[in-house]
Amino acid sequence: MNVLKAENLSKIYGNRSNIQTKAIDSLSLSVKKGEFLGVMGPSGSGKTTMLNLLSTIDTPSSGTVEINGQSVSHIPKGKLAQFRRREMGFVFQDFNLLDTLTIEENIVLPLTLDKVNLKDMETRLKEAAQKLGIDQILKKRTYEVSGGQIQRAAIARAIIHDPSIIFADEPTGNLDSKASRQVMESFEILHEEQKASILMVTHDPFAASFCERIIFIKDGRLFTEIYKGDNRQIFFQDILNVLSILGGNTDDFQTVRI
Amino acid sequence: MTFRQFAFNNIRRNARQYISYFLSSMFAVTIFFMYAVVMFHPDVMNSDLRKSVQYGITAAEIIIFTFSFLFVLYSTGTFIKSRQKEFGLLTTLGISRSQLNRLLFIENSIIGFLSIVSGILLGAILSKVFLLTFSNILDLNEPLSYFISPLAVAITAGSYFVMFELNILFVLLTIRTKSIMELFRGAKAAKKMPRFSWFLSFLSLILIGSGYYLAWTADLLTIVQRMFPILLLVIPGTYFFFTQLSVALASMLKKRKALYYRGTNILTFSDLIYKIKDNARILFFVSILSAVAFTSSGVLFGAFYGLKEETEKYTPNTLSFTSKGNGEIIQEKVKLINKELTEKGIPYSGHYSRIVHGRVPDFNGKEISFRILSLSDFQTYQSLNQMDETQLQENEAILLLNAISAKQFPDEVTVNVSNYEETFSLKKIQNTVLNSRFFGGYLLVLPDSQYAQLEQVSDPSQTVHFHAIEIENWTNYLDEIQGLLQTYNLEHLKFTDTDQVYIENQAEMYTSLKQGFGLTLYFGIFISVLFFLAAGSILYFRMYQDIDQDLSRYRSLYKIGLTRKEMKQIATRELSFLFFVPIIMAIIHSGFAFKALQNMLSASVLFPSLVIFGSFLAIHLVNFMFVRNIYITKLKKVM
Repeated sequence: MNVLKAENLSKIYGNRSNIQTKAIDSLSLSVKKGEFLGVMGPSGSGKTTMLNLLSTIDTPSSGTVEINGQSVSHIPKGKLAQFRRREMGFVFQDFNLLDTLTIEENIVLPLTLDKVNLKDMETRLKEAAQKLGIDQILKKRTYEVSGGQIQRAAIARAIIHDPSIIFADEPTGNLDSKASRQVMESFEILHEEQKASILMVTHDPFAASFCERIIFIKDGRLFTEIYKGDNRQIFFQDILNVLSILGGNTDDFQTVRI
Repeated sequence: MTFRQFAFNNIRRNARQYISYFLSSMFAVTIFFMYAVVMFHPDVMNSDLRKSVQYGITAAEIIIFTFSFLFVLYSTGTFIKSRQKEFGLLTTLGISRSQLNRLLFIENSIIGFLSIVSGILLGAILSKVFLLTFSNILDLNEPLSYFISPLAVAITAGSYFVMFELNILFVLLTIRTKSIMELFRGAKAAKKMPRFSWFLSFLSLILIGSGYYLAWTADLLTIVQRMFPILLLVIPGTYFFFTQLSVALASMLKKRKALYYRGTNILTFSDLIYKIKDNARILFFVSILSAVAFTSSGVLFGAFYGLKEETEKYTPNTLSFTSKGNGEIIQEKVKLINKELTEKGIPYSGHYSRIVHGRVPDFNGKEISFRILSLSDFQTYQSLNQMDETQLQENEAILLLNAISAKQFPDEVTVNVSNYEETFSLKKIQNTVLNSRFFGGYLLVLPDSQYAQLEQVSDPSQTVHFHAIEIENWTNYLDEIQGLLQTYNLEHLKFTDTDQVYIENQAEMYTSLKQGFGLTLYFGIFISVLFFLAAGSILYFRMYQDIDQDLSRYRSLYKIGLTRKEMKQIATRELSFLFFVPIIMAIIHSGFAFKALQNMLSASVLFPSLVIFGSFLAIHLVNFMFVRNIYITKLKKVM
C-alpha cells in the first residue's frame, strides 16, 4: 500500500512571455507504507522542489500527489497547513526549532496546535524522547545542546503526532560525521521499530546508505533507482557508483572513498 | 547610478519603514508652523493681545521643537541600527566610513526636506481653520484674516532644517561601529531566556500602588507637595512593571500547562516574553508619554468643561454689591441695574441684607473680626441659588467655610460684642451661597433673634450692606451683563465710587477663566496629540525592526503546518499586546490623576475623562489597524 503517490509531476517556473524553466519534468514516484526512501541528485536537479511539491508547501504545474489515497490538490489552500501538521512530519537541514521554546516545548508543538490534552502529550513526549535518547535534555534551550541533539529533537517533533509520512530535507547537512551517524541511526530505529514511512532528500552518500531504496534524479527527471541488499557497505559502494555515472560535478559529493 | 541616486533609491525602497517616521515629523512641522503663523500674524504682532497669549504660543513652540528634536533623534538612531546588516554588506563591498556617513546624511536630509515641505503645505491649509478657532476662543471681535507671514515659513523651515541636520550629525557621531562579522552574525545568535527579579517585580507594584494612593487621597492643599513624590513613585514603578513584572507574569502563565500547551498559546506566550523584554524600555516610554498626553489634556478639558460649576462655586451670586457702612449707595446701584435688566427682558431676583460686625476668639484664643448674617437672610440666599434651606437649632450657628479656610476652627464659638455675649455650637458649611471675597474667610450665620439682639449693639458704621442679584441661566446673558456693568463702570473685583462699592459678578469671572483655559486647552491638546502620535510611531518603528526575524520564524512554522489563520491570530495577539498594554497602563495612570483632579473640582470629571480616553483610544485603534494590516500583508509573503 502506498502512503505517497505522485504521478506525472511537473513544475515550471517563469511565465509564457519569459523563458520557462522546468524544475521537475513529469516525475512519478511512490512511497510504500513503512518504506525508507532516499532521493539523491546533483545540485539543481530539483530535489528540493520535488520535496516541496510532495509536502504541499509548493503546488505543481501539473500532475497529482496523493497522500494516504487522498488527492492533495483537492484540499483547499486554507486547510493545507492543517493537513500538513496532521499527516506529515518534517526534519530540516537547519533544524527549524524555535529558540524561544525549550526542547520539550518544541517537540510537543504539533500536538499543542491540535489541542491534544496534556496527559496524552506527556506520554507521547516520553515515548519519543526515550526512543531518540534525548530525555535528558528536554528542559534545555536550543542553544544549550549540540547539533546532533537538536536534530534528534527535530525528529522527535516530526514523529510525535504519528504522521503518515516523514519528510527529511538534508537532515545531516549541518552536522559533523559523529552527529550524522547518531541522527541516521535514529531514522533507522524509526524505520525498523515503528515502521515509519520516510522520504529523505540528501547529498550525503553515507546518510543515503541507511535507506531501503534510493531514487536518483537529474534535471527534474528520474535517472535511476537502486535497492539495498543485506549489506550497508555494499549499498554505500553502489550509491557512489551511481553518483559517478550520474556525473554532474563531483565536487558536490563528499569525498568519501572506500 | 550616482551616489545621490543610490541614497534616493534607498529611501524610495524603504518607504514603508520611513513612512511613520516621516508622518510624525511632518505632523510636528505642521503644528509648529501653525503656531508660527499665529505668532507672526500682523494682527497679533501689532495688537494689544494679552501678553499671556504671546507667552503661551512661545511656550508651545518651544515644547514642540524640543520634543521633535528628541523624537527625531530617537527615530534616526533606531532606524540606522535596524539597517546594520545592510551596512555590513556595503562595508564588505568596500564602502568607506565617510561614504557611509555621507549616504546616511543625504538620506536623512531628503527625509527632513520632504517633511518640512509637506508639513508647511499641510500647515498652510490647516491654518485657515486654526486661525478661525483661535479667534473664536479668544473671543476676538474680528476673526484673524488668513495671512501667512513669510517669516513663519522661514522660521519653521530654517529651524527644522537645522534640527534634522544636527540630529543626523549627532547620531552618526555616537553610533557604535561594529565589526563586519558582528554585523552579519548579529541576528543569528539565539537569545538567552529573559530573566526577572521577584524583588523588583514586587517593588514595582508597591511603587505604583503607593503613588496611586497618594493621588487618590490628594486634595487642593496637598497636591502641590505630592506631585513630585507621585511622579517619583509611579515612573520607576512603571519601568519595573515592564522590565520585570510583565516578564514575571508571563513566566507564571507559562507554568500553567493546561493554558500554555493549548493551540497557539505556546507560541504567543513564549515569543511575547522576548518581545516584552526587548521592548520594555519602549513600552515604558510609550506609556509615560501617553499618560502625560492623557493627563494634561484631561485636566485641561476637565477644568474647561466644569468651568461653569467652578465659577458658581467661587462666585455663587450672579452679581453682588457690597459696601461698608453705606446702604444708600448700594440701593442706588441696584435700582439702576434692576431697571436695565427689566428693560432688556432678563428675569432676575435679588435680596438685600445687612451683615453686622462682631468679634470672636479664633482657635488660638485671639479675638478676630467676624461678619454676622441672619439665618433668614442666609436662607433667602440659599433659595435664590435653588439650594435647600439650612435649619438651625437653639444656640446653633453656621460657620461659612471658604475653599481653603481653616477646618481646625473649634466646634464652639462665643460671640462677644459690647455687653452681648453668647456661646453657639458650630455647623460648618462650605460657602456656595453668597459672594464672600470681600469678607475673607470669616462669616457666621446666627438665628434671627440673636442676630437682632446683636445688630442693636453693633457699630453701624462697620455694618456691611450686601445686595445679591441672581439671574437664572446667567450663561445665556454673558454679553448683556458684562456690557451693562461696563456702561456703569462696575467691574468685577473692583471698588468703585471712591472705594465704596465692591462688585463681584459671575459673568466676568467666567469669561476670563474661559479665555485662559480655552487658550491653554488649545495649546495643550495639540501638543498632547503630537506626543501621542509620536508614541504610536515609535511602536510602529520598533515592530518594523523585528519584522524580518518574525517572518523567518513564521516561515519555518508554516512548513510544519501552522495555518494562515493561526499566524494571523498570533500576530494580532502579539501586536495588540504591545500596542495596548502601555496605553491601558497610561489610562490607569491618568485615571488616578483624574481622581486627584476630581478631589479639587466640584464638577464631575467623569465625562471629560471618558471623552479624552475615548478619542485617544480611537486614534490609537486606527494606528493599530494600520500597523496590523501592514504586518498581515507581509505575512502573506511567507507562503
